[in-house]
Amino acid sequence: MLSLTLQALFSGVLAGGYYAMVAVGLALVFGTMRIINLAHGELVLLAAYVAYAAESQYGLNPVMAIPFALVIVGASAALVYALLSRIDQDREINSLILTFGLGIILTNAVLMIWAADIHSTTAPWFQESVVVADTLFAMRSEVVFFVGGLVLMAGVHGWLNHSWQGRAVRALSSNRNAAKLMGVNPRRTEILSFLVAALLATFAGIAIYTGKTIFPSLGHVMTVKAFIITVLAGMGSIPGVLIGAVMIGCIESLTVTYVSASLQELAGMILFLVVLFVMPSGLFGGRKAIAR
Amino acid sequence: MVRMTGLMTAAVALTLALGAPGVADAKDYLLGSQLPLSGNLARVGQGMSEGIAVAVDLANKQYAGKHTFKVTTIDDETSPAKGVAAVEKLIAQGVVALTGGYGSNIIGPASEAAQKAGMVYMTSGGVTPDLTGRGYKTFFRINNTEGYAKAMIGLLGDMQVKKVSVVYLNKEATSNLAKQVQADLSAKGVTVGMHEFDGATSDFKPLLNKVKLQDRPDAIAMVGYENDYVGVLRAAKVLKPDVKAVVGVWSLATAQMAKEFPDLMENVYGTSMLPYPVEFTQPEAIEFSKTYARLFNKEPDYLGQFGYVQTKLLIEAVLRADEAGTLDKGGLADELRKTDAQTLIGRVTFDEKGDNPNFSHRMGQHQQGKVVLVWPPEAANGKMNFPARPW
Repeated sequence: MLSLTLQALFSGVLAGGYYAMVAVGLALVFGTMRIINLAHGELVLLAAYVAYAAESQYGLNPVMAIPFALVIVGASAALVYALLSRIDQDREINSLILTFGLGIILTNAVLMIWAADIHSTTAPWFQESVVVADTLFAMRSEVVFFVGGLVLMAGVHGWLNHSWQGRAVRALSSNRNAAKLMGVNPRRTEILSFLVAALLATFAGIAIYTGKTIFPSLGHVMTVKAFIITVLAGMGSIPGVLIGAVMIGCIESLTVTYVSASLQELAGMILFLVVLFVMPSGLFGGRKAIAR
Repeated sequence: MVRMTGLMTAAVALTLALGAPGVADAKDYLLGSQLPLSGNLARVGQGMSEGIAVAVDLANKQYAGKHTFKVTTIDDETSPAKGVAAVEKLIAQGVVALTGGYGSNIIGPASEAAQKAGMVYMTSGGVTPDLTGRGYKTFFRINNTEGYAKAMIGLLGDMQVKKVSVVYLNKEATSNLAKQVQADLSAKGVTVGMHEFDGATSDFKPLLNKVKLQDRPDAIAMVGYENDYVGVLRAAKVLKPDVKAVVGVWSLATAQMAKEFPDLMENVYGTSMLPYPVEFTQPEAIEFSKTYARLFNKEPDYLGQFGYVQTKLLIEAVLRADEAGTLDKGGLADELRKTDAQTLIGRVTFDEKGDNPNFSHRMGQHQQGKVVLVWPPEAANGKMNFPARPW
């Protein structure tokens, strides 16, 4: 019983790490621009497919593919931003429609280029066991990318709080007009937040390629999950995203262990609804919660 | 002399125009195909689509100068509603019959739309008993849950395992198959643990940990799709439950899985009509394999094989019905019920509900990058590694 519970919690925390890596990028863009980028999951997927292409065609280790994936995903994110920035009316709703459409285009582009087969890394190093105290089991890729993801998220958090650009992002999130008066260039700051989100998406994509399987329709699934976590955390709260993601991961794992694996998504949704019922702004939400 | 030649030429031309059956009866037949070419089932939909294309290509070759066959395919995007819309659109385009469909939850409403229009719907992509249980006159399929269950039960029976954990996806077809396997194994005195999971599951370690610590089975039986198998096997590789065999069903003992996941697949069993590398001995099978390689530059898999067989049988019945003058009077379903053919998947006949009662699958095992047929013994082309784990 104890072994089952400990393994469930361990798996849940690691799964939460994956979820958080995807969700933080979404939260960052929302915090800066008040836009839900519904193509964010597809950007994560694109990074995963770049890693697949690099490994299958050039024999590159997926980690070595990060620079290539970053260039491609960064360029795609910049394109998404360029299109979004042309919206000058009803930005919230029109950006949802635009990014949803871009997500479909990206999914179908992946389908046309790489077909519908499932893929994952063939490097066995990532799938080797990590065993803690003969009780907790994980794949090496899960542990490596969980730790790497934490470092990256801490870096983004530090950047937001301690760098001029980061403070500009927060200022823009807090009051766009006041930020402009203080010399913040909104366009430059917005595209910077998109590129940082692309960096997180790239890292998440490589993590997923090494630990899970990838297929063209996965992007949409990741966007939905990231959106739920972002709302659960409190729109725009980056530390809250990590805690919300781990909570979702743990409740899912415990449901698999003690109820049924087919109810894990339902359990996550119930947690989400209960939190919103009790705390309508989310766990760490305030209206302008970025980087708190 | 010139006049004589002119008369003879005119006579020959008149004969050809009025009497020669090959020219006068030449027809173009348009088949319709509704398949998931995008969405979650895109991979399997594309596989079946390739088999259909091979059947049409070979039919055009066989009936060259007499008839031509074409297929119009509409992507249902793995959506039941779009499956119905695709069928309605294909019927409006004047197709003579429908071949395709993947996923019981999509085939159900799509074939219902076909039934309402009196249009024959032929498939191999939905195995749930509910589909044929409706008793539709126009619905036909060449495979079914029973055939998959028979193979899995047969193999596990030969292994003489006493405890089995069934890990299955909570979709209609996979749940039905898992429950049938449970019922048949329980009837034989085998202890069965059932573990349902959702399609969104990507981390199977908590589930496999339950299997390892609570069930302690001799074998794990997986009923799902490719990404589920990879997830289960990776979790099992990490947790290392003390089992003698890992067995699955469709989409597992395939060339694709052998190539894509060589480190995971060793010793894993799955349903497979073909060994890999493919070994064909029958002339028809050789022709199928060559055409498949020519059109798609790869070896055929089971999806292509099923798509080919269902479409070939449909084309033959279309021609028979047309010759009998009943094609546009609802005679195609009657002709299909008269089918009794030896095919690449064995004998095919159709009962009153449109099911193929002869269908029984084979089991293959991944062995050093190959898929070796190991069950039933009469179809085996190698020995089974048992007990043998993938890790």
